[in-house]
Amino acid sequence: MDTENLILQLGADFEPTDSRFVARRLFVALAVGLGSALVLLLVWQGLNPDLANAMKHRFFWMKAGYCLALGAPAVMSVARLARPDGKAPPIVTSFAAPVVLIAGICAVELFLTPSSQWLEMWLGHSWSACPWKVLALSVPIFIGLLWAFRAFAPTQLRLAGALAGMSAGALGAMVYGLHCPEPSALFLLTWYSLGIVLTTAFGALLGPRLLRW
Amino acid sequence: MTSEDDLKMLMIEGLRGDGRAHEELLRAIAPILTAYFRRRCGSGGLEPEDLMQETLIAIHEKRATFDTSRPFTVWMFAIARYKLIDAYRKRKRSPPTEELSDILAVEGFESAVSARMDVDRLLGFLPSKQSDALRKTKIAGLSVAEHAETSGLSESDVKISVHRGLKGLAARLRGEN
Repeated sequence: MDTENLILQLGADFEPTDSRFVARRLFVALAVGLGSALVLLLVWQGLNPDLANAMKHRFFWMKAGYCLALGAPAVMSVARLARPDGKAPPIVTSFAAPVVLIAGICAVELFLTPSSQWLEMWLGHSWSACPWKVLALSVPIFIGLLWAFRAFAPTQLRLAGALAGMSAGALGAMVYGLHCPEPSALFLLTWYSLGIVLTTAFGALLGPRLLRW
Repeated sequence: MTSEDDLKMLMIEGLRGDGRAHEELLRAIAPILTAYFRRRCGSGGLEPEDLMQETLIAIHEKRATFDTSRPFTVWMFAIARYKLIDAYRKRKRSPPTEELSDILAVEGFESAVSARMDVDRLLGFLPSKQSDALRKTKIAGLSVAEHAETSGLSESDVKISVHRGLKGLAARLRGEN
């Protein structure tokens, strides 16, 4: 086609754009994704029957805080990659901080607990299900982010996919914390993190295929 | 005022809803993009013109991802580079990998754009029929027959306009009239 005609066509199909388009769309995607994950949790797993009591303990807030501390920098980085010229900030340090902090709490926990109970503390009652449930709860959030990215212009597809997977995994894990009654930092550090690593890996795998434009 | 500023201003006016500014922007960057792709499509059966048009469409469709606090040309070449890599990927060849900063340095977009602005200014001195014929056949790359068809002129009429236009430009550059 002749370039001038193309330009005239593009100019004819024209509307002003929202200057905060990227932020707004991401917000909608995350809100709907989180809401869907919550509904999925309620229907599929139910809340922790002892939730009111659990919320009085630091374990509950430790879990939520850990997930949020991983999820927030992941979301902020993936937001940068929505633009073609966007660069992800050096995120490894912001991810390392919560991991190191929880590892420190684990050390205290191990020190205070007789070694005969270490295995139970590590595996809890639900270690084999936890990472998979985190993965399942992350799916609606990941889909939300994919929807948002359809209108964006990412150029680092694998990295954007990995960070979208990580955002979805961390927020999915946070939702799972409303069900999970396990009260140990060692459990959190191992099995929640494994779930988030899984979603990150899936995101990295799917990114180049699903985020193309 | 640099050309980056000119392009960015057009982009921002376009984002606010000025379709004319948007068209003008696309018109101004088309030759820059063609030159960019031509330099990188040596082998591999890629058509610089096709890639340029594809990039224009992408720039139009993805315009909301432009952050007005950042340079326009960086954003534009990031999209062009992505389209180039994508085209190579489709043909299962390895693309030339350069960093954006290298592209900006090599392209010398500033001089290209200001040259284009100079041409626009010079063409402004010619009668519109002549400047139109020159724009279409010498810059946009239409054949004489194509321009004749779209403008409703006869082919010989177009040829004469091009000839007179070039003569007029040459005279202008030599400082006559």
